[in-house]
Amino acid sequence: MRPEFETFLARLYTDAPLRARFLAGPREEAERQGLTVEECAALERIDRVGLELSARSFAHKRTLKASRRARPWWKLVRAALGRPRH
Amino acid sequence: MAAEVDVADAVRDRFGLTWQPALAAGILANLDRIDVVEVIAEEQFGASSRATRALETLAHQVPLLVHGVALGPAATAPVDARRLDRLARLVERLEPAFWSEHLACVRAGDIEIGHLAAAPRTGATIDATAANLSRAASIVGSRPMVENIATLMEPPASDRSEVEWVSSVMTASGCDLLLDLHNVHANSLNFDFDQVEYLDRLDPERIGAIHIAGGCWIDGPDDERRERRYLDDHLHDVPDPVYDLLVEVGARVRRPLTVLLERDGRFPPMRDLLWQLERARAALAEGRLRAQRDDAPGP
Repeated sequence: MRPEFETFLARLYTDAPLRARFLAGPREEAERQGLTVEECAALERIDRVGLELSARSFAHKRTLKASRRARPWWKLVRAALGRPRH
Repeated sequence: MAAEVDVADAVRDRFGLTWQPALAAGILANLDRIDVVEVIAEEQFGASSRATRALETLAHQVPLLVHGVALGPAATAPVDARRLDRLARLVERLEPAFWSEHLACVRAGDIEIGHLAAAPRTGATIDATAANLSRAASIVGSRPMVENIATLMEPPASDRSEVEWVSSVMTASGCDLLLDLHNVHANSLNFDFDQVEYLDRLDPERIGAIHIAGGCWIDGPDDERRERRYLDDHLHDVPDPVYDLLVEVGARVRRPLTVLLERDGRFPPMRDLLWQLERARAALAEGRLRAQRDDAPGP
């Protein structure tokens, strides 16, 4: 697998406008990105439902990671035990 | 039931949970029923020294495992040396029984995918993954166990099945398998394969640890809502077919196993998680017992 193909897949997962263009014309978009004939053929057969659901799942994970703030776990233990803070 | 648990004890299987701050109190209060705790590596990167010392203290009470989620070895680019250095320091400090990572691609070029994407299953990605795992082993100081991932999409340009690809990576890298049974279950539902046949195609003596978890069905996109997929979300209880698979694992694998229940949110009461661990103990013991019976000489 070429790095260019890998990078294009990553862009399909993360770039909604690109994904929409691609799903409207997979071969045309893949050719526009300079991928090989074999890569274009593979992308033409892509699992469209799986691609869209994967992209949504990855976007959800990115949002979660961005919003997650670690709270020291011992503070949660202390809260669970009901101990006063000193 | 008692006899089955004795079988599991005889081969020293271990059962535990993934460390979550929300579960900390429950885990600490039930260390008599939890043999091992898995720590997510990336959640410790950048943690304060106080937080790391707290984990070191925990490591004196229960064996820890370090589990990576963002290395992304299943890619053509070499894995990031800085990530590996941080991983190496964490492993050095926590002295886990082993460390593990997913057989996934998480970035390409300068693009962070954000989670675990399945790499195209080809000879080229087998070689690239093995090279990345070798690099990781040399920097961290030990080989990781590698985990099969769940996917909502068959990766394009693949020329072989998932289990063929996973087995080939294990052979090429020398890494043992952290077999995620819920990921096998999810992929079998999404891509219509037999999950027991999947197990049969793995070398049982290369399976060193097990993940169990839960998930749910999700609808397809708006124009294809009827084409549902099953999502491995770690937010639901472990479904029955995963325990059935664990019985099958117990019947095939002779070495001691570490079984971990993954739960990332929507946490139920601790007693429910402990009950799921007990079900896992019973399932693995049932498989162990079946293997013993099969081995026993006939009359």
